[in-house]
Amino acid sequence: MKFPVITRRFTVLLAALALLLGIPAAAAHADSATSGTGWIRLAHLSPNTPAVDVYLYSFGNSDAQIVLHHVAYGTVSPYEAVQAGDYSVAMRAAGASATSAPVLSASVTVKADHAYTVAGMGPESGLRLQVMDDTLTTPAGKSLVRVINASLKDQTVKVTCGGQAIVPKSAFGTVSSYVTIPGGTWTMAAIGGSGTATERFTMAAGTVHTMVALDGANGLELVNLEDAAGAGKPPLGSAATGFGGTAGHGPGSPLPWVALIAAGTLLAMTGGLRLRRSGLRGLRTGH
Amino acid sequence: MALFRRPAAIIVAAGLVVIVAGTLGLLLTRHSVAAVLPPKPGVGALPAPTGPIVAPPQSSDPVAVASPVSLTIPLIGVKTRLITLGLQSNGTLQVPSTVTVAGWYTGSPRPGAIGSAIIVGHVDNYRGDGIFFRLDTLSRGDKVYVQRADGTTVMFLVTRVQKYLKNEFPTAAVYGPTPDAELRLITCGGTFDSTTGHYLSNIVVYATEAG
Repeated sequence: MKFPVITRRFTVLLAALALLLGIPAAAAHADSATSGTGWIRLAHLSPNTPAVDVYLYSFGNSDAQIVLHHVAYGTVSPYEAVQAGDYSVAMRAAGASATSAPVLSASVTVKADHAYTVAGMGPESGLRLQVMDDTLTTPAGKSLVRVINASLKDQTVKVTCGGQAIVPKSAFGTVSSYVTIPGGTWTMAAIGGSGTATERFTMAAGTVHTMVALDGANGLELVNLEDAAGAGKPPLGSAATGFGGTAGHGPGSPLPWVALIAAGTLLAMTGGLRLRRSGLRGLRTGH
Repeated sequence: MALFRRPAAIIVAAGLVVIVAGTLGLLLTRHSVAAVLPPKPGVGALPAPTGPIVAPPQSSDPVAVASPVSLTIPLIGVKTRLITLGLQSNGTLQVPSTVTVAGWYTGSPRPGAIGSAIIVGHVDNYRGDGIFFRLDTLSRGDKVYVQRADGTTVMFLVTRVQKYLKNEFPTAAVYGPTPDAELRLITCGGTFDSTTGHYLSNIVVYATEAG
């Protein structure tokens, strides 16, 4: 009965290894090798948490697909295109060994044509990784904006767009849903107890934004993240981009040539008739 | 030759000439014409543009990028200035009026900014090949460069090449929003319908800014 023991030990070892690498529930779901690509970006939005190294693992692969070193508070990576499927994100203290136990990890299922933000949120004591399903598409002619409050100093902020409150109460460590605004250049303000951050941003029609309220050196700061952009006015359907000069084709229609022959015949016959008639006339008047 | 002084005789002669021309025309066009196939990639390749390549945009603090002025695809020998294109009155994409240049749709993001920049070119005209004649020979990983008005260059890598029937054109996938800087190169392909004078399909090259 040695065999099962060995197997059990091996399983425990494997589970420990998986845990160590920040791959939760390694054996639980072995599905989804979905096709297509999605996008993922990584962010550090926890004000009192020191810089971290962020790792992205494709499910079942202990070699990190992306490693971002020394990611400090307020940093948001660009979107990375990844194969649709399951991933895990692990955060380790900056400079910690890649094989050390992560401080925090979370799993993300990336669907084709979807974009995700994975952000370290909250205070250091309650640090968590939040996975956000980001929106790419706007209603026609509109822009979308949502708010993340990442300010520890101002636990509640109000965000206004052109003087109008779009998110009246944004609590620390939370993300609002997207709000539709008309496309254009807007004065955006984050208003907190300790002060106000005001910026002018271009929010063109067809673009999606995330406004992040951060603790700056001198009070609140407002950062504009561009989540996605599309054509303000997308074209309809296909494009007519060829005339066939290099295309293969069968024999052209014989009709024009047949018509030409018919016209020639008609002409010849007309001429022939006139010739006969004038010939006869000539005979008659010739003498 | 007194006969030919008569107008009626001239008419008969003209009729006969027309009959002969029609018969010749008919006989000479009774064969099929094979398609002109683009040469393999690499044939007639151009050097990549020199100078620094700018980095892809960050998602924070999006900066305005300069408008595109030219397009280079070394592998298939494409080097062209880019004209600007809008929409036609029926809402479809305008196309360049000549086959020797490609055009950028001004309603799409500028190449290198977040979103899908749309560039369109002809595969051919009535007689021969156009600027995007060899577009469908591109494959994943091939490089596409766009030079911009401020002298900067952005490099894109082809991610996939698709052929779509025009009546099943996936508008959302081709023109839709993206969270990163992408490029769409569009031309015609597939079967040519000589009764309508149009190709039945579009070739779409998807590319993403390298970084």
